[in-house]
Amino acid sequence: MEATSTTTETIISFKGVSKKFRKSLKQSMLYVFQDITKNIFGIPARTEILKPGEFWALDNVSFEVKKGETLGIIGPNGAGKTTILKLLANIILPDKGSIEIEGKVGSLIEIGAGFHPMLTGRENIYVNGAIFGMSKKEIDKRMEDIIEFADIGDFIDSPVKYYSSGMYVRLGFSIAVHSEPDILLIDEVLAVGDLPFQNKCFNKIKQLKNASKTIIIVSHNLHLMERNTERIIIMGKGTIDSVEKPVDAIDKYLFYLSTHESVKHQTEYLKEKQELSSFSDDVCKNKKNYNNNEFRYGNGKAQIIDFMILNNQGKEVTTILSNETIIFRMKVKFYQQIEKPVFGMEIRTSDGFRIYGTSSYYHGIEIKPQMENDIVSVEFKMNFSLQNGNYFLYAGVSEFLNDEVIPLDRRVDFIYITVTSKNNDTGIVNLNTQIEIYYEALN
Amino acid sequence: MEDNIKISIPEFPVKQGFFKLFREMFSELKKSRELIFRFFIRDFRARYKQSLLGIAWIIIMPVSFIGVFILMNKSGIINIGEIDVPYPVFALTGLTIWQLFATGLIGTTNSIISAGSIVIKINFPKETLVFSSLAQAFFDFLIRMFLVALVFIFYKVSPSWQALFFPIFFIPLIILTLGIGLLLSLLNCISRDITNVVGLVTTFLLFLTPILYQKPAVKLFENISRYNILVPLVTGPRDLILYGRITNPAAYIGATVISLLVFLFSWRIFHLAEYKMTEVI
Repeated sequence: MEATSTTTETIISFKGVSKKFRKSLKQSMLYVFQDITKNIFGIPARTEILKPGEFWALDNVSFEVKKGETLGIIGPNGAGKTTILKLLANIILPDKGSIEIEGKVGSLIEIGAGFHPMLTGRENIYVNGAIFGMSKKEIDKRMEDIIEFADIGDFIDSPVKYYSSGMYVRLGFSIAVHSEPDILLIDEVLAVGDLPFQNKCFNKIKQLKNASKTIIIVSHNLHLMERNTERIIIMGKGTIDSVEKPVDAIDKYLFYLSTHESVKHQTEYLKEKQELSSFSDDVCKNKKNYNNNEFRYGNGKAQIIDFMILNNQGKEVTTILSNETIIFRMKVKFYQQIEKPVFGMEIRTSDGFRIYGTSSYYHGIEIKPQMENDIVSVEFKMNFSLQNGNYFLYAGVSEFLNDEVIPLDRRVDFIYITVTSKNNDTGIVNLNTQIEIYYEALN
Repeated sequence: MEDNIKISIPEFPVKQGFFKLFREMFSELKKSRELIFRFFIRDFRARYKQSLLGIAWIIIMPVSFIGVFILMNKSGIINIGEIDVPYPVFALTGLTIWQLFATGLIGTTNSIISAGSIVIKINFPKETLVFSSLAQAFFDFLIRMFLVALVFIFYKVSPSWQALFFPIFFIPLIILTLGIGLLLSLLNCISRDITNVVGLVTTFLLFLTPILYQKPAVKLFENISRYNILVPLVTGPRDLILYGRITNPAAYIGATVISLLVFLFSWRIFHLAEYKMTEVI
C-alpha cells in the first residue's frame, strides 16, 4: 500500500510561474540596481510588471511532477527550458507565481560547473561535492563510488584542464548523482559523453528512479527522451504547448516545429488546410479502417491521398491473418516540386509501442525528383508476423533538404489494423514456431 | 518533512521579516563553513600550482615595496619623519596589517565574478565565495607575520607584551574588509568598473593612511585621516605591537562600531540581492 501512496505524491508544483528577461545589458544593470535599492528599504520590486526592454521568457507556466517520475522537457531554443531548471534549482526567483519543491535538488545545468582547471579530478570532487552540499565525511565515504562510476582511470589525479570534454562530463555527472538528490535536473549534458557512458547514465537514472528519485531531463535528443522519460512537456515560446506521452511527443514536437502552430490547434490546422482544398484529394477518410483520431502534420507540399492493404491474392482487406504476406500501398500526390522525397511507415501497438518501422531511405532507395501534380504509389510488401490484436499503421512522406528531414505529410496512426491468428500464442510477434517432439526410446 | 518544502515566490528575501532574514543569514553561514573551507583550499592550491616561486610571492611584494620607500627616503624624495623604532620594523608591521585590508578588498570584490559559471548554474550561498577569498587574504597575512617576526629579530626589537592581545584588536579591520567586500562584490556584478575603482582607491588610501610615515605632513592629509576609519583600525593594532598601547582609543572604538554596522548592513544587502546577482552577472 505504501508504494502506491508514494507514487502519487506531488513533489514539485509550478503554479502560474512567469519570469522576465532583458535583451540589453545596460538596461539590466540599471533595473537590477533599482530593484536592489528598493529592497534595501524593504520595498519589494514590482516584478510582475514589464519595464521597457523586458520580455517574458516564461509566461504563466504551471505543471506538477510526482515523486519518482521522470519528466522530459523539449522545445526550440529560447523556449524557456533552462529557465525552468534554474527556477527549480532555486538559482533564480520567479517574477510571478510560486514554486513548491519538496526535497533536495541536484542540478546538472552545466556539467563541471565549479571545476577548477588547475586542480586534479580528486581535488575537484571535494570542491564540487561541497557545492552540492556534501560534507567531507560523506564525500570520503562515496569517493570510491564516484571515481569508479566516472571511470576515467589515472586521470583522476591529473589537473582537470587536461581532461577531454567526455571525461569532464563523466566526472561531473558522477559527482552529481552521488550527492543523492531527491530531484535531479539534467540539462542537455549527456550528449557529450560517448555511447557506453550515455548508457551507463541512463541505467543510473533508472536506478535512481527505482529508488523513487524524481528526474527532469532537458534535451534535444528526442529518441533518448522517448526511451527514458514517462511524460514530456513540449515548450513553445515561454509557454507549455502540450504535455504528451513520450511516444507521441516526437511527432507532436515535429508538428510544432514545422507549423509553428500549437499542438492543441492541430484539428483547426487541418481544417484550414482542407478549406484551402489541398487536402480535398484525400480519400483515406472513406476507408473502413481509417482512424479518425489520427495525428497529422507536415507542410503539405506532398500528401498521402489514398492507401490500401492487399493480401497475397491482391484483395483489399482490413483484417490480416497472422504471418500473412501483405502489401501496404499508399498514393502520394505532390503539390510542389520536391527534389528528394522519402517514404516511410511504422507499426505500433494500440498503447503506443513501436513495433517496426522502415523507409525508402533506410533501404537505400533514391527517389526521383517529383514535379507538381505528380502522383507516386509506394508499396511496402511485408510478412505480417504479428500476433492477434489491434495495431496502428503510421505512414509519412518527407523531404531531404540540406541534410535535414522536413515532414511533408505525416499521418500518425491513421490506419487501424486487426490481426487474427489461428493459434493461441501470446505476445505481439508471431515467430511462427514449430514444435517438434522426439520421444527418445530407452533401451 | 514539513521544513523540507521549499517555496519560491517573487522577491522572497524582502518579504521575509527583518529579523528572520538575519537569522537565516547566520544559519546559512553556519551550514556553509565546509564550503568556505573548500573554496579556500581550492583557490590556495590553484594559485601556486603553476608557479615556481609559489608562496614566496606573498612576501616579495611588501619587502620590495618597503625597499623602494627606504631608497626614496634616503635620497630625500620623501620624508618619513621621526620614528622611535627602526623604520623597516615600523613600516612592515603597519604594511602587513594594511595589506589584509588591501588584498582582502581586491579579492572579495572580484570573488563573485571570477567564480565563473557556478554562480549562474548551481545554487549555493554566494557569501561563501566572499568569505573564502577573505580567508585567502588572512592566510597571506599570517605568512607575512612570519616576515615581520624575522625583521623584529633582525633589528633586535622586542614587541610589547600587550601584543598578545593583537588578535582581538585586529578583528574590527577584518570585519570592515568583509563588510565593504560584500557590498563591492555585489556592485561588481552589476558594473565591472568597481574592480578598477577598488585598485585605484586602495593605492590612494595607502598614502592617506599613516603606515609608511609617522604623521601627515600636509594639513589636508591630516584632516582626511581624522575621518578615515582605517587609520585607527590599522594603526591601533600596529601601535599595540610596537608601543603596547592604542594611540587613540576613542577613535578606535568608534571605528569598530562603524565597521560592525557596515558589515551587517552590507551582508544584508548582499543576501537580499543574491538572486538578482545571478541575472546580471
